[in-house]
Amino acid sequence: MTMTIEQEIEVLDQFPVGMRVLAVDDDQTCLRILQTLLHRCQYHVTTTNQAQTALELLRENKNKFDLVISDVDMPDMDGFKLLELVGLEMDLPVIMLSAHSDPKYVMKGVKHGACDYLLKPVRIEELKNIWQHVVRKSKLKKNKSSVSNGPGNSDKANNNRKRKEQYEEEEEEERGNENDDPTAQKKPRVLWTHELHNKFLAAVDHLGVEKAVPKKILDLMNVDKLTRENVASHLQKFRVALKKVSDEANQQANRVAIDSHLMQMTSHKGLGGFYHHRAIPVGSGQFHGGATMMRHFPSNRNLGRVNSLAGGMFQSSFPRNHNDGGNILQGLPLPPLEELQINKAFQSFDSQQNSLMVAPNNLLLLDGHPQSSSPSLNPGFSPHFETSNNKQRLEHWSNTVLSTNMPQSNVHSKPDSLEWTAFCDSATPLINPNMDTSSTSFCRNTDFGSSNAAQTDFFHPLQMNQQHANNWGPMPTEAQVFRNCDPKEGLHMASDAGSLDDIVNSLMTQEQSPTDFSEGGWVMV
Amino acid sequence: MNTIVVAQLQRQFQDYMVSLYQQGYLDNQFTELRKLQDEGSPDFVAEVVSLFFDDCAKLINDMSISLERPDHVDFKQVDSGVHQLKGSSSSVGARRVKNVCIAFKECCDVQNREGCLRCLQQVDYEYKMLKTKLQDLFNLEQQILQAGGTIPQVDIN
Repeated sequence: MTMTIEQEIEVLDQFPVGMRVLAVDDDQTCLRILQTLLHRCQYHVTTTNQAQTALELLRENKNKFDLVISDVDMPDMDGFKLLELVGLEMDLPVIMLSAHSDPKYVMKGVKHGACDYLLKPVRIEELKNIWQHVVRKSKLKKNKSSVSNGPGNSDKANNNRKRKEQYEEEEEEERGNENDDPTAQKKPRVLWTHELHNKFLAAVDHLGVEKAVPKKILDLMNVDKLTRENVASHLQKFRVALKKVSDEANQQANRVAIDSHLMQMTSHKGLGGFYHHRAIPVGSGQFHGGATMMRHFPSNRNLGRVNSLAGGMFQSSFPRNHNDGGNILQGLPLPPLEELQINKAFQSFDSQQNSLMVAPNNLLLLDGHPQSSSPSLNPGFSPHFETSNNKQRLEHWSNTVLSTNMPQSNVHSKPDSLEWTAFCDSATPLINPNMDTSSTSFCRNTDFGSSNAAQTDFFHPLQMNQQHANNWGPMPTEAQVFRNCDPKEGLHMASDAGSLDDIVNSLMTQEQSPTDFSEGGWVMV
Repeated sequence: MNTIVVAQLQRQFQDYMVSLYQQGYLDNQFTELRKLQDEGSPDFVAEVVSLFFDDCAKLINDMSISLERPDHVDFKQVDSGVHQLKGSSSSVGARRVKNVCIAFKECCDVQNREGCLRCLQQVDYEYKMLKTKLQDLFNLEQQILQAGGTIPQVDIN
């Protein structure tokens, strides 16, 4: 039933009092107890000891109940089956009840769509909070219906609204506003993997940046389930990034910085795959601080050479003005940079997730203190120029980091306005007014898109985080679910958490018991 | 109202209750059930335990049929029965019964008919024993109420 916002709020005010629960258990003792417990929680309770009856009651009127609690072991129908059917037909939250504490059953319940899994004997405290599942579910439903033509919406009205939303979204992005509050956006997240982005790039390349419109790009990319809006928003960000890159590309020092940064970043495992698309002059930091580095660029001549080489390599990917940025955006290594004799001592970062955090921190720090003409280059913070490995590392990057909850954009968005000119002129301290040194913690997600309007997050970190959250999301009560089981700490992953699997696998040692954990990648730590 | 009589009865009730816990007949879940009893549902506990005993009788009967013929034991049925019994006994706080169910399940898992029969016998004994004890307890309650007193809250710890 569709309600106005005001109506919904009203209902919620009384909620969870009067929440309508259907309780199903073939054991009359347990059912009676459950009924009383639920009454004590001030819910409205209907009971039946037959799964079949329960289904009939539910089918009779979908809106009659808010939540179903069902035992797992029932003679007339498997509780999991009931769970599935209820989920499919009525999309109501279902809580499983069982005397089985075996994680296998818990897992099964979750896989069949249970919101929660309670062990008998059920305590009243547990029942007092089950209403959260109703709220959560209805919130999800609302989000879904605003994206697609949900039930109760006329197609036309919905289409119009959708188009308007798209338009608005694009408009906003044109203006560079980052008001992508994930909760407001309500669009399914697209994970722009390395692969996906490459397809995007290829399409744009083919069309020419000037002529690359979302629809055409989408067609060329030919990716299932990718929508025009996804491409459009991605393209917006991309364009902005390109523009910034091209602005800086005129500065010769940029080339070097970008490349070295790129190398440095590519040697990391666990960085967002998007980084290689941004010619992020975060690398300026290192040069900035590193006198050693500076020494390697004794004259403009060298830089110039690098530049032209770089320029030469960039031709293919992007049109004209964005030469310099294009290649970097594809994350290709730049061989000539080897001449710069920059330290290759970056191995440590490959395996350490933490270092990832550290390095950019240091970068930021460096940038924040422009007067450090002293070579306070962070030890271990050296770009890695082994070109042969770069591509591989990039892939590592995009595979791993994309799905991690790491606030990556800060590092990369800030340096956009870095004064590259200053770089060549080593006398002038590098000042990046936009560099937000307060957010030195690479791990902190705080500045995402919200703060500097001038900054651009090429890929949307919130988006990614949201994606990440969503992937993990479906098990909101995993803590509860595990509570009564053997306390195995681990990551509970949905079987469709594709890239998350990669990340988790690479991040954690995986010990899988020989039992039925083949699906879904149970990771026991 | 004879306050002395009431006080005596209440004392008796309390002691008896505590002893049931101490001897392991009852556990915390029973306490929880008692908490749910109020003016709205004054006979809640009695109701629930009587449902439980009915369940016990039925389940035990079904299981004994399954275990009857040595060459033809339906362990699946027995397992299902044990499982249910375990669930309901734990829900009412019938600790001893529940514990027998745990052993019972193990025998069932390895398809040990002899073991199952022993457990069946034991579970039968335990539930009947508990039934008697609780009956006594409820009788005491009634006496208190009839004497004009109130049922004391018993703190088991």
